[in-house]
Amino acid sequence: MKRHLLANTLVALALVALVGWLSTTVFAMLGTQTDWTKAWEYRETLWRGWLVTLGISIAAFCGSIVFGLLFMLGQRSPLVVVRWTCRAFLEFVRDTPLLVHLLFGYFVIFAPLISRPLGEQGWDDKLLIGILLLSVFEGAYLGEILRGGVDSIPRTQWESARAVGFSKLQIYRYVIFPQALRRVLPAMAGLFVSLIKDSSLLNVIGVAEYFYNTKNFISRSYAGLEGYVPLALGYLVLTLPVAWLSHWLEKRFRHET
Amino acid sequence: MKLEATSLVKTYGKTRALDGLSLVVRDSRVLVFIGPSGGGKSTLLRVLGGLETADQGNVVVNGETLTADPAGLQAYRRKNGFLFQQFNLFPHLTALRNIALPLEKVHGHSPADARGMAEQALDRFGLIDHGHKLPAQLSGGQQQRVGIARAVARKPEVLFLDEPTSALDPEMTAEVLELIQELAEDGQDIILSTHEMGFAKAVADQVAFVAAGRIEESAAPAGLFGDPQSPVCQRFLSKVMRY
Repeated sequence: MKRHLLANTLVALALVALVGWLSTTVFAMLGTQTDWTKAWEYRETLWRGWLVTLGISIAAFCGSIVFGLLFMLGQRSPLVVVRWTCRAFLEFVRDTPLLVHLLFGYFVIFAPLISRPLGEQGWDDKLLIGILLLSVFEGAYLGEILRGGVDSIPRTQWESARAVGFSKLQIYRYVIFPQALRRVLPAMAGLFVSLIKDSSLLNVIGVAEYFYNTKNFISRSYAGLEGYVPLALGYLVLTLPVAWLSHWLEKRFRHET
Repeated sequence: MKLEATSLVKTYGKTRALDGLSLVVRDSRVLVFIGPSGGGKSTLLRVLGGLETADQGNVVVNGETLTADPAGLQAYRRKNGFLFQQFNLFPHLTALRNIALPLEKVHGHSPADARGMAEQALDRFGLIDHGHKLPAQLSGGQQQRVGIARAVARKPEVLFLDEPTSALDPEMTAEVLELIQELAEDGQDIILSTHEMGFAKAVADQVAFVAAGRIEESAAPAGLFGDPQSPVCQRFLSKVMRY
């Protein structure tokens, strides 16, 4: 114990020294350039961007659940063609970068297809298409998580449910999902943390979300730290509660069978 | 109950679980299948209970011919009860909820009615104090009794029990067998498979010996246990009755 105490103290000191040295060096180089009033001046666009990011996250959260369920059911379809198509599509989505989906999906597929009608209706086409693409991407991962959860429920549960006379839909609704969800909730919460962070990539198709607005603010005002620190904090405010929720769920359901 | 199975064939990959099995039961309350493991008892019970369809042959239970149509089979399952060796209950629901949920969702009773019927079923088998517990908090014997209570709560025409005590220790086995006997005495039609020969002798009207996917012999218990005709059945009984 004592040896560990000493080791811990030494490592802690070394870490503090390292971070301290790095900070002083960086601040010394920045000199007096750091001016936090800049961020305050742009507070409105930053706030608006943050709200958009929050909105995207919530919308894509719902969307990914829809796609996740579809992908999961598709992979359990009795039709082999549906199963294989689903499998191939999931594999493609999971093995290519989101950045590519966004650029390709927006500029090549959806923008020519539905941008004009959406615009005429007064919708923000970039935002909607961005949310759709993000939902499909995260839905592909969610589909795999859900499939794992459903597969982990023993066959006897299906049998018992059939034996008491439940229909296929009722079996999913009352027997399989409630058990499967408990098992995959922590993994799902983890995925939603990724979703929030991934939403920042929507800036490449010009969605005015938090990262996009911060980037503009930085390039317009030559800000440095004043831009990046609020950027990181803004995302942390969104992700930390979800991460805590995930840990809490994990603890809560660990001992339950 | 009346039952007629004709030339049933069921294959899983290369194994023929049922190999041209035929059985006629004219009027029997408790029909018991005995025989070696892997001989086709479970498969036969699952086919008769409408959980599985035979590849060939047909089954008539109480005048109703079983179809291969999923909706028809589901309707058939809804009026019967089925219990497996173990893990019958839904682990995320309390004992009471396990019984009430199917009454509510499958049989269309109101939540309050379903709850009342479930309480009645638990009470009947002395389980009312365990109604609020999750299956994991019950002993194996209690779980099986709740399973049986669930199966009989909606007054099934026929109750199918697939080796209901195979996963239990002797004490729990006795407690479950007692309950089954009670049901039989109350007039419940039962088809069950078991390795408990003493129980089969005591409770059955008719015993069928199933081996290698066929019925080797079928008779009243006194006849089958007292004077088995086929050599396979003689060998099996002399082996299991030795201790």
